[in-house]
Formats: sequence, C-alpha cells, structure tokens
Amino acid sequence: MRNIEYPNMKGTYLGEFEELILLTVASMAEDAYAVTIKDEVQIIAGRKVNISAVHSALYRLERKGFLTSNFGGATQKRGGKKKRYFHVTNAGYEVLRIAKDMKEQLWKNIPQLSIVTY
Amino acid sequence: MNTYRGDSKPPGIGTFLLRKIYDDDLFDDVSGDLQEIYSNKVLTHGRILASAFYLIDVVLSVRNYDLKSRKKITQNNSIPMFKNYLKITLRNISKNKIYSGLNIIGLALGMAACLFILQYVSYERSYDKFHENHEDLYRVRYKVYRNGELNIDCAAAVPRVGPFMKEKMPEVRAFARAYPTSGVVTYKETKFREERMHIADPDFLKIFTFPLIEGDVETALAEPNTVVISETAAKKYFGNTDPIGKMMNVDGEHSVSVTAVAKDVPNNSHIKFDFLISYETLNNQTRNDDGSSSSETAWGWYDFNTYVLLEPGTDIADYDTRFAEYLWDERGETFEKYNFKAEFPLQPITDIHLYSNLLQESEPEEQGDGDAVFFLTIIAFFILLIAWINYVNLSTARSIERAKEVGIRKTMGAYRKQLIYQFISESFILNLIAMILGLGIVVLGIKNFNQLTDSQLSLQFLLDPVFWIVLVAIFITGSVFSGLYPAFILSSYKPVSVLKGRLSAGRSGNYLRRILVVFQFAASITLIAGTIVVYQQLGHMKALDLGFDMTETLVVKGPDVFGADSLYESTVETFRNELLKNPEIGQITASSNVPGDEIFWTNGIKKHTEGRDSYKIIYNVGIDYNYFPAYDIEILAGRNYGPTFTTDTGSLILNEAAIPYLGFESAEEAINQKVTFWGQPKTIVGIVDNYNQMSAKAEVSPIAFPLVLRASSYYTLKLKGDNYQSALEKVQAEYNGFFPGNPFDYFFLDEFFNRQYNNEQKFSRVFTLFAGFAIIVACLGLFGLSSFSALQRTKEIGIRKAIGANIRNIVFLLSREFVILVLIANVIAWPAVYFIMDNWLNNFANRIVIGLPVFLFSGVLVILIAIMTVGYKTVLTARSNPVNALRYE
Repeated sequence: MRNIEYPNMKGTYLGEFEELILLTVASMAEDAYAVTIKDEVQIIAGRKVNISAVHSALYRLERKGFLTSNFGGATQKRGGKKKRYFHVTNAGYEVLRIAKDMKEQLWKNIPQLSIVTY
Repeated sequence: MNTYRGDSKPPGIGTFLLRKIYDDDLFDDVSGDLQEIYSNKVLTHGRILASAFYLIDVVLSVRNYDLKSRKKITQNNSIPMFKNYLKITLRNISKNKIYSGLNIIGLALGMAACLFILQYVSYERSYDKFHENHEDLYRVRYKVYRNGELNIDCAAAVPRVGPFMKEKMPEVRAFARAYPTSGVVTYKETKFREERMHIADPDFLKIFTFPLIEGDVETALAEPNTVVISETAAKKYFGNTDPIGKMMNVDGEHSVSVTAVAKDVPNNSHIKFDFLISYETLNNQTRNDDGSSSSETAWGWYDFNTYVLLEPGTDIADYDTRFAEYLWDERGETFEKYNFKAEFPLQPITDIHLYSNLLQESEPEEQGDGDAVFFLTIIAFFILLIAWINYVNLSTARSIERAKEVGIRKTMGAYRKQLIYQFISESFILNLIAMILGLGIVVLGIKNFNQLTDSQLSLQFLLDPVFWIVLVAIFITGSVFSGLYPAFILSSYKPVSVLKGRLSAGRSGNYLRRILVVFQFAASITLIAGTIVVYQQLGHMKALDLGFDMTETLVVKGPDVFGADSLYESTVETFRNELLKNPEIGQITASSNVPGDEIFWTNGIKKHTEGRDSYKIIYNVGIDYNYFPAYDIEILAGRNYGPTFTTDTGSLILNEAAIPYLGFESAEEAINQKVTFWGQPKTIVGIVDNYNQMSAKAEVSPIAFPLVLRASSYYTLKLKGDNYQSALEKVQAEYNGFFPGNPFDYFFLDEFFNRQYNNEQKFSRVFTLFAGFAIIVACLGLFGLSSFSALQRTKEIGIRKAIGANIRNIVFLLSREFVILVLIANVIAWPAVYFIMDNWLNNFANRIVIGLPVFLFSGVLVILIAIMTVGYKTVLTARSNPVNALRYE
C-alpha cells in the first residue's frame, strides 16, 4: 500500500476529468483498474482518452485520498503484472456529493429551468 | 510466464523508458495496463500498429513523471540538510576570511595554471588530427645507412618511393607527394615572395582534409601548370574578384592557372601551404630524353614529403618489414654496389609535430617537443596537487575550531556519514568558487598567456565539450580528494571529549601536514631550479662562440626572377660595386645559404683514390670569394678562394668536421689532396673552422663550400655605423634597380639565427610562469599554516615573553619548524632536479654542466621566501603585548 496523504481543503478541488474518472470508478464497483476504467469512460462519455491520462488522474485522486487501491489478478495478457484495483473512499463519495449538490444548486438557480424537478 | 503469446511482447525500448518514468511501485501495474492494451491491439490491429500505439502510450506517460519526483522529496530530508551545510559553509568562509581567501585563491590559481597548461598541451597534441583519415595517414621517412651507420634521417623521401609503395603494397589506398619550394609570384602588379609553396600530387587534396571553397578536388591538380591557392592568397592577389581560371606567374618563368581555392590551412597542421602547384608541372620540367621524368623515377633525390593512406588497422611494423623486402628486390643491387642501404619506414602523421625531429621537416621552427609537453602535463598536475594539499592542510589545521560544531552535531544525532557528507559538500562549494575564479583568470589571462608563450590559444575551447568534461572531472576529483581527509578526521571526533574541550590543538594530522609541506616545497624547488637550468642553457648557447660574426649583418634574399641568365654574374658584380660605394656597407657576399638556414643541398663526396662504394653524403653551401671574410670565419689551413687563382673552379674548401668524415688525419694533411665531388676531381685548398651553420643545439655537420659565383639565394651585407635605416633604404633602391620584378625581402641575421631557439625560449617562459604559480600557491598554504600555528601558540608566546624571551627568540622558535621542513624539501628536490635536467641537457650538443650554485640559489631563494611568508605573521605575534596574549581566555 502506498502512503496516502489526508485530503485537505485545497485537495478537495476536482477537475472535470478527475470527476469523470472518480464517478466512473464509483459506478463500476468491481473490476475497476486503469484499462477497464479507460474503456468505460470511452463508452459512457463517448470520448477517446489515453491510458496515461487515466493513470495521471487515478494516481492524483489516490494521492488526494478519494481513491484507494489494492492489487490483484495478474494475467498472462498483462505479462504477468498485477492489476491495481481502485475503490472510492468515503472522502471520494463525499467530494462527489459536494460536487453534485453544488451543481444541483446551480441548476436550481437557473430561472427558465426551475420547473424541472427530480 | 512473462508473455501472453510468444510473439506479443511489446517493444523493449518502450518498457525501458517506462521504467525511467515511474517508480518501482507504480511501474508494475502501469506497465501491466499498457501491456494489456497492447495485447488487445495485437489481436485487433496487428503487431506493428500495436507496437506503435504502445510507444505512443509510453511517450504520453511522460506527463506522469512528476509522480516520481514528488514522491522522492517527501521521503527524505536531505535537501534541508544540504541547505544547512551550504549556510554553515558560507558562514565559515565569512568568519575566517583570510584562511578561506588563501584556500580559494590557492585553488583558483592552481586550477587556472592547470587549465592553461591543459589548453596548451591539448593544442600541441591536436596537430594533424583534423584530417578525417588521420589515423591511417603516414609519412614516409627516408633513412640512409652507410657502412652500417645512420647517415641521413630525413622527413622528405625520394619521388619514386610513393608510386612504388602503391604498386607493391596492397594496403596503400593512395599516396601523395609534396615538394616544398618557394618563389616570386606575380599577378598583374601584385608580387610577393612566397615561401609556403608545394608541388603536390593530385591525391594530396583527397587524402588530407584541406577543403576547397571553389574548384573540384578531382581535377584541381590533375593538369600541368595549374595551382591551388589558399583563401588568404586569393585575397592577397585577387581581392574580391574570382581567381578561378586566372593566370599567375612564378619566378617570371612559369605561368600557372588557378583551378581551386582552398580554405586556409589550420594552424595545427604540420604542413602549411598557400600555393599547391600540380605535380605534372614539375614532371614537365624534369623530363628526360626518353620521356620519363626524374621527379617520378629518381631514387636518390630526397626532397619529397611523401604521404600514404593505408587501409585501417594495418600493422606498421609488419608493413615496414615487407616493404623492405620489395625494396631489396628492386634496389638491392645498387645498395650492394655502392655499399649503402636505404629504408623508408612509416611515421604516423599525428606524431610528426611532437615526436619527429628529422632533417627537412616541413615547418622546422614550429616542431613541438613531446618531452616538453609531457613535462608540462606533469607540472600542471603538480600545481593542482599543491593547491589541493593547501586545502587539506588548512582544513585539518583548523579542525580544532570545527570540533565543537562536530560535537554538537553528533549529540543532536548526526551520523558520521552525514558529517562526512557535510565536509565533502563544503569542499565542493569551495572548489566550485575556486573553479569559477580560475576560469575567470583563464578567460582574462589568455591573451597574456599567448603573448608569453607565443601560442595561439583562443577562447574557442569554452565551446568544447571535452574541455568541460575535463573541468568537471578535475572539479569532482579535487573536491572529493581534498575533502575526504579532513572529512574523516573531523567526523571522527568523539563528542564527549570535544565538548569538554580536551582536544589537543591541531595534533591530528600534524605528521601528514609536515609531509605535505615538504612535498609542496620540493615541487617548487624542482621547478625553480629547472627554470634556472633552462635559462642557463639558453644563455650558454647564445653566448657560445659560434665561429662566425652575425652582428650588424643584413641578409637580402636574392632575385628569383631574372631575365637573361648570361648577364647574371656581371649584374651581381655591378650591384656589389655600386653598394660598396656607400660608406655604411662594409662587405657583401652572395651564397646559397646563410647560417641558421637549413641546408637542403647535398651531394656525394669521396677521396679521389677510393672506389665508388665509399661515396658519402655532404652538405653544400655555394659561396663566392667574400663569404669567409664577410662572416669572419677562420681558415684553419690553406687559403680562401680568390679571383687571382684561375684554377679555383677545380678547388674545394671543406669545414673541419669533414676531415675525419672523409678519412683524413689532419687539416694540414688534407690540403692539396684530391676528392671527387659533383663527379669531378677537386683539390682541397682550404679548411675552415667548424662554425655553427645551424644552432648550437646540434653537432656541426660536415660541409663542403664549392665556389659558386652564380649563387644567388642570399646576399649578406655587413653594415657599418648606426644608421641601419638609411643603409637599408639605399640597398633597397639599388636592389629594385638591378633586379626589377623581385620583391625586396631582408632580415637581420642575429634575429634570424636566434629564432632557432624559439622553442627553448618559449619553454623557459612557460616554465618560469608555472614555477611562479607553484611557489605562490605553496606560499599561500605556508602562510595560512604558519599564521594559524602562531595563533594557537599565542598563550605560550605570552608566557615566554613574560619570562623574558625577546622577539628574536620567539621568531626563531616559530619559524624553525617550517625552515626545517623547507630544508628537507631541498634535500629531496636536488637529486630530482639533477636527474631530470641532466636528461634534458643531453639533447644539446653544447650543454652546460649543472653546478652547485643552481641548487644553492634555488634552495636559498625558497628558504628566504618561506621565511618571509612565515615571518610576517610570526613577527606580528612575537611583538604583541604578552598581556593581551595571556588575557586570551
């Protein structure tokens, strides 16, 4: 296990891509490692991403404490290398929730669309 | 188990890069991810595209590089510690300004001296390395043995050997000959006498790297009567107009057309030219009746610098042996008949500048001296060593001051390793400051250095990566080397004893310090004594009675361009008579050589009674009636040539060295004997003194002085009175009147002759400079050391003074140790000096004997310098009021 720094106020900021990745990991529940996350993002968001960008985001999120990881499942396909499975931490869910609330608040504030409710 | 399928391993270079990008713990899963994608792509896109995508992924991963570095920093705290070391170092420097200053200045001077020498040495060693083929280029030497004795060892070979080698030896890829010549070159109104002129084979421009600016390498020297000129010559004669196709005239006889312009020959070339005339031009001039040319077929005419380009990796020893066999097949009969043997060993062209000192070198004045270069390299190293020793000495001497710091650091939990790091990094910082200062000294001083040593170093070296590599190597070695010992000493202190203040002052390393001081001064004394010997030898050679008079002697180059040959003798006669009317001019003589000018003219000579096999080679100097009187050369036996002796065309005058050479018993016996010379019987009418035709460095060679009234290479004029300028103007006016079309070139003989000592003079100046550097650096160290020891003994001195010691006692007490050390240094240095300098002096035919005064002088000088250095601080301490000293606590 890598050292994890505790999130601080500065660290709660989420970039758009980071949020997307974090959400994807949250939605995948199981079998979330870089390659599958990348595929999932491609399917859901419909945009091509490079694996290095996914790595970058994942490790940054891990450092911020929104993700945690454990090793498992080496396959021959991977040249015998282990996979790093990611899971969303409580802090991760919290920051996603904050982001969602903030957006909903903003949506509510838009006058024309105020009739739309969940 | 490493691969999914045998053929689906991603490109290794990508994995290699990936390992550089990520830390170990990230690398595993990241590379796994990339490999998985790769494996998928192999199935869908094929291997090649998959590999390409893999590499793209790797390259894009560079963005994650910061994941690595950031993690490193958080793992240890050495950066703040290093910041602390830096701070402490700077504080220490400013706290002890004098010691730090001495330390840094000493190191800076040492480095500057070392850099200067390294530049100089690397320039000397760079000769002829700019040729692309330099590793496979060789010059063919010419050696002649007569009766088993080496008779000629010459840099220029015979014209036939080049083609012959090419025919016989498969390793020879190409050969080129260059025949040095000179002449008056005219283009329209512009005329100059050109010395840097060679007649060269077409392949000359191909095997050497002398790039052409204009013209074609293939055809430039192919046709007769063509010339390749240098950029400088092109500017000189043609200004800004295009020289190609223009006709130039050489010596008023040959018209040659310019076919190419070559870039100027670099300074570090052993052969230099402004004009290359095509070889066919010479062939046409030496054409025999049967259509062949002597300049192609001659086996005995040795004026041709011959170069061969061999296949890479040729074994030269083996080559020489095999060629000797072919040569014997071709020439063996002749060798046996005339009882001589010739050899043509090869010599790498990169050895020519430093390790060759043969007859007829292309640039004899410029020949370097490999030994001197080697000496200098050692000196450079020594100076640097002295500076580093200073550092070690001063830092260990001051260790007591740092001991408390070490104690505190250790109590606070510093490991010994960390303390060693600290003191080594301190040494790095001081060395860095010194290196920057040293570089500054080099940049500012390079002009003066060039002037002093007559060299052509430029600041170009700052762009040379090799220079920086060497510099960094010196820097790192020096820092570690000089930092290591103090670091180990200082870090070994036990905190308890240090903090209790029980450490005896500067005891540790005392012994080593003394040895180092002895070594420093031994090196300085060696350099100083060496310098004195070099100067003495130079002075000895210059003051030597050369056997001729070269004062007030003006030499004018004879005319090369002369219309009607038949009128030449009478014209010279009138020219002489006109000049002699001037009261400023005492004597005039015409000759083929003047003293100090290397003789290229040789011939066979033997006793008339002996057979053809006893021919020996002898140098020729063609002279007129006035040569010996004008130069004041003593005639030992017989008489001079004289216009009254009508038989003098059949007479010959020899120098004394030729007497035993030819097998005569004495000068008197040789008179009126007959010798065969130029294939004709000649009667010896006179024997002259062995005056030094060449410098006093070498033995006098046997010389024959045939009477050649047409000799026109040099006119020697003895001047009277002080007004050289007006005499010179008159001579020039007459010369221009009598020999139109010839430039007026002149020199004063003493300057011309003494230029042969340029190398030794340069050597002595370099020697002096660096001996100075060495002694300054050593004194800086001694000053620091002595003042420190005085400081430590302040209390002792106070007590001694209080009891009644006077200043003299105190000074004696304090200086005694250092004076003893310097005396020991003398004992070590003297045999070293004797051994080294005696060896060097053996290079000279006229050498001095190293006397005791040299040693005494250098020894006393160094002791005086040491006493003065030590004395300053000691006297200050000795004169200080004991009350202040005893109140020291």
